[in-house]
Order: sequence, then C-alpha cells, then structure tokens
Amino acid sequence: MRGIGKSFDGKAALRDASFRLEWGEVHAIVGENGAGKSTLMNVAAGVYVADGGYQSIDGEAISLRSPLEAAAAGLGMVHQHFRLVESFTVAENVLLGLGRKSKVKTPADAAAIVAAKSREIGLPVDPHRQVADLSIAERQRAEIVKVMLLGARILVMDEPTAVLTDEEARTLLSFAQRLSRQGHAVVLITHKFREVAAFCDRVTIMRHGETVLDGAPVADVTEADVARLMVGDALTVAGRPLSRPGDVCLRVEGLSAQATAHRQNLNDIGFELHAGEILGIAGVGGNGQEELVACLLGLEKIDAGAIMLDGEDISAARPGKRREAGLRIIPSDRFDSGLIRELSIADNLALTTIPGGSFGGPFLLRRRAMREKAAEAIDAFDIRGATPDRPASLLSGGNAQKVLLARELGQGLKVLIAHSPSRGLDMKATEFVRSAIRRAVEAGAACLLISEDLQEVMSLSHRVAVMNRGGIVGCRQAGDVTPEWIGGLLAGHA
Amino acid sequence: MLDTAFLVRRQNPGFLLTSLSYAGGLLVGLTVSAMLLVHAGVPASALVDEFLIATFLTSDGLSQTATAALPLVLVGLASAVAMRVRFWNIGVEGQLWLGAIASTWVALNGIGPEALRLPTMFVLAALAGAAWIAISLFLKLRWGVNEVISTLLLGSVAFLLVQHLLFGVWRDPANSFPVTATFPEASWFSILGWGQLHTGIFLVAGIALSIWFVMEHSRAGFYADAVGFNAKAALATGLPVLRTAVGLVLLSGALSGVAGMMIVAGTEHRLNQSVGNGYLFSAIVIAYLARAKPLWVIVVSFALGAVFTAGNVLKVFYSISEAMIVLMQGTVLMSILMAQFFSTYSLKRPN
Repeated sequence: MRGIGKSFDGKAALRDASFRLEWGEVHAIVGENGAGKSTLMNVAAGVYVADGGYQSIDGEAISLRSPLEAAAAGLGMVHQHFRLVESFTVAENVLLGLGRKSKVKTPADAAAIVAAKSREIGLPVDPHRQVADLSIAERQRAEIVKVMLLGARILVMDEPTAVLTDEEARTLLSFAQRLSRQGHAVVLITHKFREVAAFCDRVTIMRHGETVLDGAPVADVTEADVARLMVGDALTVAGRPLSRPGDVCLRVEGLSAQATAHRQNLNDIGFELHAGEILGIAGVGGNGQEELVACLLGLEKIDAGAIMLDGEDISAARPGKRREAGLRIIPSDRFDSGLIRELSIADNLALTTIPGGSFGGPFLLRRRAMREKAAEAIDAFDIRGATPDRPASLLSGGNAQKVLLARELGQGLKVLIAHSPSRGLDMKATEFVRSAIRRAVEAGAACLLISEDLQEVMSLSHRVAVMNRGGIVGCRQAGDVTPEWIGGLLAGHA
Repeated sequence: MLDTAFLVRRQNPGFLLTSLSYAGGLLVGLTVSAMLLVHAGVPASALVDEFLIATFLTSDGLSQTATAALPLVLVGLASAVAMRVRFWNIGVEGQLWLGAIASTWVALNGIGPEALRLPTMFVLAALAGAAWIAISLFLKLRWGVNEVISTLLLGSVAFLLVQHLLFGVWRDPANSFPVTATFPEASWFSILGWGQLHTGIFLVAGIALSIWFVMEHSRAGFYADAVGFNAKAALATGLPVLRTAVGLVLLSGALSGVAGMMIVAGTEHRLNQSVGNGYLFSAIVIAYLARAKPLWVIVVSFALGAVFTAGNVLKVFYSISEAMIVLMQGTVLMSILMAQFFSTYSLKRPN
C-alpha cells in the first residue's frame, strides 16, 4: 500500500500512509489512538474505500470496494467488535459469510468444514455452539476460523489482545506466529510494545495518519525508539508548568472501584488539582478513563477513597449536589451524558440550573426567560445554526460542543472535568474549545483534562499524569515530560 | 429488484408530513376494519349508518360516546404519563380493579359522611391504584424486575382478588349472583340529564387539564421529558431522576385507580366481573396514538368511545363478537403506527 489517503467529513484520518507486508511474517502496526492504524487496515480490508493511493497484492494492483472483494483477494480482518450473529451457531455464522455461491449449503456441511479448519490451524472451536454462549476468547477464535474459511491468507487483527487475559493473549499470539510460519501473513494492530518484541517480525509505526517507521525489523528497534516515534512532535509543544499554583480545589485520595463485566476497575487513584491549573491525564482509551469520570461525577459508586471538593468530601453526594458545589463536566460523548437530543437548545442550556430555581419557582417554568437566556448564549458563543427552539439533535458536533461549553462554563464553575473535549471536532472548533477552557482556568477554575490525544494533553496541561489499567502510573510537571517517560507509561511498563 | 435499502431518519419531519401520514394510517385502518366487518356479515350500507350517523349525529349516540370516553381518558392518561418516563405500565387493568375495589368498599360500608362519600371514594381509589403499581415499581428498583411482566401479571392477581370478593363477602344477597348490591345513591355521580352522562365529566376534565398543564408548563413536566428522553444525561446534569420517575409512575397507578371509581360510581353503580375488561388494550392504544400528549389523549379517547358505542350497536343488531371490536382497534393502531414509522424514516437506496 502506498500513498493512501482517507478523509471523513473533511477531516483527514490518513494522509500518504504506506504499508508493506511480506508473506510468512507477523507485522505489528503501532501508534496512538487516532493515529490511523485501524483506518489503514480497514482500507486494506475493503471496509473503507481510499480517497487516493495505490494498493497491490503480489505485485498486482487491486482496488477493493467491499469486504467481500477483499475476502476474495485473500484478505480477512478480525475487528475489535466481532462480526458474528449472536443468535446463530458458529457453523451458521460461517454459512452466512460464505454466501449463496458457495458449495457449502447446509449448517451440517458448514460445521464439518469449521471442525476441519479448526483442527488444521490448531484453534479449538465448537461449530455447534451458539455465539451468545461463547466467551470473548472463544468468539475471537470463531471469528478467526470464519475469516480463514472465507479464504484469508492475510489475516489482519485489530487490537486482538485488548479483550483477553494475559494467558489467552499469549496463546493467540503464538497462533499468529505459527500461522505465519505456514506461509500466511499476519498483521497485528497493537499498543503494547511487549507483544511486538516477543511475537512480531517487523513493526510499522503510525502517527497522525502517516507512516513514520515503515516496516523495520523488530530486532533493530528499542522500546525507547517506539515510544519516541509514537509520541513524536506532540512533545514539541512546550509544556508550561504553573509558576504559582492556587489552593487545592479537588483532591482525590485512594479512589478504588471494582471491575464489572464491561468496566475496568479503578485502583488507588490519587491526585490534587489546584485553582488555575490544568492537570492532563493521558492514556490509551479503555484504561479506566470513562470509569474515573463516572465516579467523579457520581454516576458510579466507589468502593474506597475520598473525593474532596474545596475540603468537603463529596463522594457520597448525588450528581446534582456535586454540581451545586461547583463540579462541571464535558463528557466524551456529548449526546450520551451531556445534551439531550430531543430537547430544544434552550431546554438543554437551562437543564442544569432549573433544579436550583433559576427559571421559576418549584412549580411553574418560565419558558420565555429560558428562551431569552438561550438567545444570549447563542450570541456569546457564536453557536451557528441554532435558535432557542430547535432541537439539539440538529446541531453539528462543534456547535453542540459550544452549547455544552456555554452551559458548563457558566456561573459557579470551580472544577471542570473535560473528557476528550475536542473529539470529532474540526481544527477551528477544537481551537475554540481549547481557548474556552484556557480562559476559564485563567479566571480561577481548575480543570482535569482526560484525553487520549497526547497532543491535546501536552498543549493544554500544566501537569501531566498517565493512566494505565485503572491506575495513575506517573505524574510530572509539563516541562519535565520526555517521550521515553510518557511512551513507556502509555505502553504499560511503569 | 430492491436488494438493499437504508432507513434514514428524517431530520425534522414537518407538520404537514406528520399529519398526512397520520391521516393516511387512519384511513387504511378504517378501510381494513370496514372490510373485516363486511366480511363478518354487516351490510356495507349499514356501516356508514351505524358508525357515522348513529354514533356522532344522534343525541343518544353522542351522549353514550361521551360517557364511554370518561374512563378511557383516565386510563389513556395513566398509560401516557408512565410512557413519558419510559415505564411501560401494562397493568392498567390491575390498578383499575384495585381502584374499583377501594371505592366499592367505601360505597358499601358507607365510610365517612354522605356529603364526602364521592371524594372519599376518589381518594381511596387513587391510593389503591398507586399502591398496586408501587409493587411493580419496587420490584423494578430493587431487583430490576421488568415492569412489563410484573404489571401485566399483577393485573391477573387483581382480577382474582375481585372474584374472591364477588364470590365471597360481596356477593349480592338478593339473588346470589357474583355482583355486589347496588350502591346507595350517595355514591353515584349524579346524572346530568343527557343520556347516561354524569357529573364525573367535570372530574375527568379537571384531571386532564391539570395533567396537561403540569406536563407542558411545570418543572416536573420538564424533568419528565428529560428523564424519558435520556435518563443518563438527566442524572449527569443533576436532575432528580428517581423522584421524577417514581412520582409519574405512582400518578399513573392513581389515574387507573380513579378510572375504576369512575366506572363503578358513574355507570354501573355496583362492582361486577366485567367493569375493567378491555381497558388495558384501550389505554395503550390511546397513549400511543396520542403520542403521550395529554390533550390528544382526550381527542383519541372520544374516538375510541365512539368505536365502543358503534361496537355495542353492531353486537346487538348484527351479532358481531367482542373480539371483532378489539380486532378493529388493533387494526387501526397498527396502521397508524406504521404510517408514523414512515413519517419518521425515509427509505433510501444505496447509490
């Protein structure tokens, strides 16, 4: 693959990316969240069609328009979210994937070929079990067998070990190695240097949609190299530690919460946040960031620890009380826990202040006052395409974020929790959001910035902490952050 | 050949499109219903006569429709307010039975001074209905029991309770039928002098208008919308989610209870085994067709009341069964819901 470009809604996810895979190797693609690893492989697997560039297999130019064409060309991808129908058995899923033209017509035939393939490649899979009853690791094996049965000689796996235990991960990675020794090629998208070093032959590193290291043998690169290349110019943004930090606004001590089926556990998280300070928490997504935000906000219960806001423990208070005490939030998913799609912009802007009585007494609601106030906010924050009565669902991402900012940065703000505040926004909107946060902090608020975008953390924060596997594994003044330090912590070698 | 197609949510379906699809659905539903009736042996010429003229254009028909609509408005509102906070109250009939039992108890035992007899029945019926739904609410909050199941099954329990009473202590002493004795007149809503229509209409109108006002213009109504649309965001923005949901669910039960009182004190003047039949399905139909809007609940309830009136005529003169009437309601509901689907989504072919 050469010179691949791909944009979504005018935002480039890939620009001039390249990738070269050889038969018989396990090839790792490493990079931060949003570096373009998955996008590049989705282009390879025909899920996305590239805007430009050249692709070939065995020297022959190809242009894939769909995953079916990719499968026919011998390329199969195991996605992070498996493409299996839960109410079907493994065999039925394979039958579904084979399509009408295949010679295999009945579930019994499909079961037979699944059993045969499973023996051949050494991955145990029971063809007769329903997918819904399988564990994550079993589903993954079923998905691999399915992809192989559809004719894959090149197997692409998108962060396959993220959902596995260490033992399961080792088993899977040695399978990948075995497969490559049989002449297949395997691509492994990963964050973990340890896996790269132990199981891969060559490594490609991506950053901001570009290939920064093109297929170097693993033996030639060190962990520090990988960390530096992954992080790259994010650190050229000068970190500015705060010369005179204000009083402690928010102190979190020994915060722990148990893991559940869909939840990372939090263990012994502690930090202090001062007035006028931005503390950035960097980390690869899924390491407990969502859970931390939910605990701070009061949506999830904590098992141990304390959350002190201005010296008062708020860890038992309900979300409304925490808000009254000055805690505000920009959630990572605006329409999940910030704005309500179906309500009007005026309603959304008034949402947090109505319980306190700002728009009428306990019974009547003063709709006209809400509209007037909304019109002011729309002017002040330059929210395009908005009128007080339009539903929030009609706003674009950037303008919806402005509505959220207008509300959350309003009166009484003491501590702002901003979780990936510029996710999905274009350059201009991103800059607007960042400068709004800076201004609020200069006015005396404190901000906890949780983001998977290292560049964002570096360009805003006075101090930087790193989160990994549900804990805070390191914290430094912004000026002291080095690529080796942060890269090592991100990849999980504290 | 249409191999694949996408459903695309319309950004902002206009008023015209919405009304047109609604009317279209209604028309299809009525046409199919008419065909069913003709098939069942009702002469086509009689349909117009019975439906339009007898139901809407005669004084008798109209008063009967209005009377039938009163409990329908209450159960429709009951279903609608619970729907606003995404609580599926499929036990309207159960709460209605409990309300009927409570008001019958007051009426038969002459509880309280005569002048306050109806208000006492009203309050106790509301409390009984709320208490009955509170069981399901508790099960849901404490153990996550699905309210669709628990409210539905508690409806059957309530009916068994009614039978227990009617075949036991409340059996009519005069003839041993499983119905209560007729209530003393202090427990009747007085007749207004137009057919069977009674003073209960003022109570229903008062309740419906208050609920409309609360839902559209009060803080509680605002909370209800926020909680119903996105409970997580409502919680995260600091709204009292639990209090709002509990309040509206209990209100839903109370309204069903009052509907039970409306029937026994308004038209039957006694408790029997059939006063609550069919209200569950009607409540759901009304709330859906009215899109949980209180004022529309009134309109749709009258339309459904008309169907009941016409149904009674059909039953008597053409020996059409009760099931046929329910079938017609279902047909109209399904066709309007399908029409609504197409006003919300448009069908696109991949290019």
